[in-house]
Order: sequence, then C-alpha cells, then structure tokens
Amino acid sequence: MKSTLAGIGGLFFLPPVDMKQEVKIVEAKGKEKKLVYRTLGKTGLKLPVINMGVMLTDNPNLIRTALDSGILLLDTAHGYMQGRNEETIGGVIKGRPRDSYYIATKVNLPQNRTTGLYTDGATTEEFLKRLDISLKRLGVDYVDILYQHGVSKKESVMYEPVLKALDQAKKDGKIRFAGVSTHGNEPEVIHAATDSKAHDVILTAYNFKQKHYPEVRNAIARASQAGIGIIGMKAIRGAYQQPPTIKNITGSLKWILQDPNVHTVITGFTTFEHIEIDLSIMDDLTLTEPEKLELQKEASIRGLYCQGCGQCLGQCPEKLPIPDLMRAYMYTYDYRSLAHAQDLVVSLNLPSRVCEDCSYCPVKCSIGFNVPKKIRDVARLKDVPSEYITV
Amino acid sequence: MSTVIILWSSISKAKDFKFPEIAGWKQSGEIETFIPKNLYEYINGAADLYLMYDFEELKVAEYQNEKKASVTVDVYRHRTPLHAFGIYSQERLPEANFLDIGIQGYYEKGFLNFLTGPYYLKLSAINTGPEDQEVLVAFAKRTAENLGPKGSFPSILSAFPAEGKQKHSEKFIARNFLGYAFLHSSFTADYELQAKKFKLFVIERENRDECKNMIEKYLQTIKSPRKDVTEGRYTLSDPHHGEIDLHWQGKYIWGILNLNEVSLRLKYLKLFEEGLKKKVLSD
Repeated sequence: MKSTLAGIGGLFFLPPVDMKQEVKIVEAKGKEKKLVYRTLGKTGLKLPVINMGVMLTDNPNLIRTALDSGILLLDTAHGYMQGRNEETIGGVIKGRPRDSYYIATKVNLPQNRTTGLYTDGATTEEFLKRLDISLKRLGVDYVDILYQHGVSKKESVMYEPVLKALDQAKKDGKIRFAGVSTHGNEPEVIHAATDSKAHDVILTAYNFKQKHYPEVRNAIARASQAGIGIIGMKAIRGAYQQPPTIKNITGSLKWILQDPNVHTVITGFTTFEHIEIDLSIMDDLTLTEPEKLELQKEASIRGLYCQGCGQCLGQCPEKLPIPDLMRAYMYTYDYRSLAHAQDLVVSLNLPSRVCEDCSYCPVKCSIGFNVPKKIRDVARLKDVPSEYITV
Repeated sequence: MSTVIILWSSISKAKDFKFPEIAGWKQSGEIETFIPKNLYEYINGAADLYLMYDFEELKVAEYQNEKKASVTVDVYRHRTPLHAFGIYSQERLPEANFLDIGIQGYYEKGFLNFLTGPYYLKLSAINTGPEDQEVLVAFAKRTAENLGPKGSFPSILSAFPAEGKQKHSEKFIARNFLGYAFLHSSFTADYELQAKKFKLFVIERENRDECKNMIEKYLQTIKSPRKDVTEGRYTLSDPHHGEIDLHWQGKYIWGILNLNEVSLRLKYLKLFEEGLKKKVLSD
C-alpha cells in the first residue's frame, strides 16, 4: 500500500484489497443482522463500521435502539446542546455494563477563528476542567476517546497545553485514548497528528464531494500506517437534511468504507429508519454499479468553487487572502448571497487595485481555477455602494 | 456587475442589523458572517442541529476593553421565531439563573444566552472578573434593542398542564419527533409527579387530515393498522418507546410518554385537552 499511495489517492473508486475486517451475525431487536467490524488502529477497539454521532438527537430511545442494534461507539462533545447531549447519553448508558459500549467526546478551547490557533484561555487546566464536567454529565469515570475538538492548523494539533492535558487525563485514567477532530484543512491536521505521536485516533471529515479527497485519503493512509485509528465523519453530509444535499446515502457510506484505512464512520441518526438504512450497508459493503454511477454523476458536477485545500496560501506576491476571496466568490455565485460576499470582501481590507498590476500570476490552484480572474470579479464588491444593495 | 446587482434581493434583512456601540468597549476585528454551508467552521459538529432548526445566518462580533477583557456576541438568525425557540430550547439549561432579556435569557458564569424574535443570541466573556454578569447583561440588552420586537413564547405552550411540569423544560422538536419522520414536529415538556418522571407532547398541524394521516402511519409502523381511524384516544404499543397514550382531535395530537400508571395518563390527557380548548379560545 505504502508505495502506491500517491497514485491510489486520486482514484475515485479504489481497487478491492484485503480489508482486515471481521463479519459477525448478531441478533439485534429480534432480528439477525450482519455486522462488519474493523480494528481502530493501535487502540485495538473492534468497532462496527457504522457508529453513531449523537449530536442531532435528545431522544434516548433512538440511542438505545442504536446500541441494541449493534452499534458500539457513541460520539458526542462537551459543547453539543450546551452539555445536554452528554447528559442524554448518560441517561441511556446508566445500568449498561461499561464494557458494552464506547464513548467518545470532544473538548473545545478558545481559538482565533481567523488563524485557527488557540488563544489565551486555552489552558491545560481549562481543558481538564471541561473534561471533568463531561465525565460528570455522562456519569462515567472515563471516556474511551477524548478529542481536541475542531482543529484546523498543525500548530493547534501540537499545542503543548492541550497535549499536556491529554497526557494527564490518560495518566489519571479519565481517558483511554487521545484524539483530534477536524473538518477543515484536514490533510495538514492529519499529518500533524501523525507526526505528534500524541494521538491515538483521528476523527476527520471525508466524503466523495471533497475536491481534496485524494489529499485526505493519502494523509489518512499515512496516519493509519502509523497505527492511528481513523474515524470518518460527514460521509453523508446533508443527506438527511431537507432538502438532501447527497442523494445516495448507502453509496456515500460505502464510498468512504472502500478505503481500508477508515476503520469506522459515525453518522447522525434522527430516525429509527436512518439506523436501519445505515446499518444495512453491512450486508454488502461493495459499491453496486447503480451506486457507482450515481456517485460519479454527483461528483462530476464541475467544481466551480474553492475547496479550501490551502495550496495557494503564500503564493500571491501581494499576499492576497485567496481562500477568503474564493469564499466570497462562492457566496456570490453559489449561495446567491451578496451580503455575505460583500461583508467578507470589505473585511479583508484589500488594496485599491486588486489583481490588476501583475504581469504574471504565480498562483497555482489545485483544481485549476483562474484565480486572478475570479478575484477581480469578486473584489469589485468592495466598491458597490450600500444603497445598491437592496433591489 | 449586472449579475451581482440582480442577485442582491435577499440581503436587506441581514444588512439591517447593527451591533451596538458600548461605552468603554471597542469592536476588535471585523464582524464575521456564517451561513448554513459554513456554520460548521464556527461551531463544528454542533452546526448540524442548528440546520435542523432552519438556521439562516450567524453574525459574530468581538469586543475588547482596555483591561484586555473580551466579550463575543453571536447572533443566530433562524427562519422563524418558532425555530429560534426550538434551538434555544434544545440548549437551555433548566437550572440556570434566568433573566428578563428578550423573550427569555439565562446567565451562567462566562456566558449569557437569550431568545428574541427569530434570533438566538449567545454571549461569552473572558477576563471580565466579578463584573461578568453585569457586563454580559449590558451587552445583551443593548444588542436586543437592535433586533426588533422580541415576540413571545409559542402560544401552544400555555396548553401544557401546570401540575408537575418541570420549569424551563418545554422544547420544540423541529423534525422527526420520536424518531419518526412522519410525525414531523412537536412541543414537549418534562414532568415529575409522585416520584414519576414522564413527558407530555403536543403536535399541531395545519388541519385535521394531516393528523389523521399521522395516526394512520403510526398505526402502520407499529403494525396495528385500522380500517377506520377516527378522532379520540389511542393507546399504542410502540416497539421503541413502550406504551404511549395519545389523543387526536382536530389539528392537534397530544400524548404522554414514559408513564405506566393508567389513571394518571388519563388525568393528564384530560388536563391537556382543557388547556388546548383554552388556547384555541384565546387565539
């Protein structure tokens, strides 16, 4: 696998490989179910390939049904529902044997939203204090996985006060495994976590609609080879929303699980039917031809908007904030929201002439955008008087 | 630029809102704006729940004073006041220190949340010391002044029986109530009486036919279909929730969860019916 990573990363469908997974037929809610298990890296936890992200529900019976259906890992966070999400889980697991489920939660600390770096209030003490509150809400002595929540920069992955807190929590027996969660600039975060050697698990956004999925895939492969457990999220991003943004749910889940380096996926159920649909993919994880066609069709819609890969950073001689400008372009033409676009453009304090004086643009976009053209287009918003804003 | 101007139709509402100026404090940095597609950049996985409550836009402003204290004001706008109430109710801490700000607000050390009109506001403070609450309340009140009429709680909440109702436990579930897509949305409240904890709910639809359709689908789902579905009481044996008593009348379905005692269930169904009658009369 290692020698062919770069090539494989770019393939939309991966060739079949030995998945190193176990299949068990279990009885759940009076019915026989086929469950497929993979091992979460060096943690050794054997998990079904589908698990539950609890963030969308306060319905304890839905969580009970998920556990009774064979799901083992419940994923929550200190901040979800202002802590009520953890309390709901606490109510469900009360009385269940502690070795019959796994809990993953996440602790966030103050971050500068522009830089993605932790700020003053991000201390070891605060992290540990929040963990203690989470343990109390959950009614457990320890969680199986504790993530530093929502990280998008390598500096934040390596942030000493947080690493110290994770280490201390392990020593105190309050967590079994340390992790990091990311859904922005994922490849950088995953590589940093691999290099840090402080993380046992990575929870990452990963789906077929990400334009930079090859980079995510390659980063995951490297992390997995280093023994880090990989959990996917946002695999069916928006599929259960109204209107759905992904049409083929089973295909989307199978797509991420075709990657042998993904050990499990968490999905956010809100109905009993969702649980059945998502678990049903374990009957056969192979993508069917109709599923492949549908995914290809959805993925082939031309990439009109920036995917936030960050490759362009530092390439502009005028140091223009290209990803922000591309986001403004997306607000204008995809979201049809000029207010957001103008707010963003104005906030960037651009020079009076933008992309008009360079004879050559060295910026190389990973998906081939004509970056200066798009910038010139959207930068004009800063000069539109606000009285023209309303029609 | 003509394309751009044409697209400019839906933004006046968002442009109307201004963060207030507060004496002794300066806005640090620019106001940030988030919309459904990028809300997760700000609140990570919690964004999905906000999307279920028809989140439309978030504006974030940060203020600092000379003592290097800071206050962050998050203004979430939802499609309707009901949806704003829904997400507020999902995050409301029943034991918090409640305040008369907007429709309702509450304070806990370091943060203050409140509801006003279609807005849900979350304010947080760092390094504000012993004046923490005072500072946050001042910011909340000044910000609320710029957000239009505060409105009120959904009127249907008044129909919930008062006896045993847990304070501040009312919620609006926007979708997939009880884990069933066909039940759509519902209002719920938690109760405790004679050491028994249970939940009451009411579903309000546009008309009688929608309620009939719901009851029919529910009966099919629990494999107890009936030929003639008429208004009245139903005791359902739900494979996930156990025995549920519910009553359908007109455009309302109300019921009880997690309560075994039949006489108490009947009592509460009756009390709820009386509350709904009063509510309908007062509307």
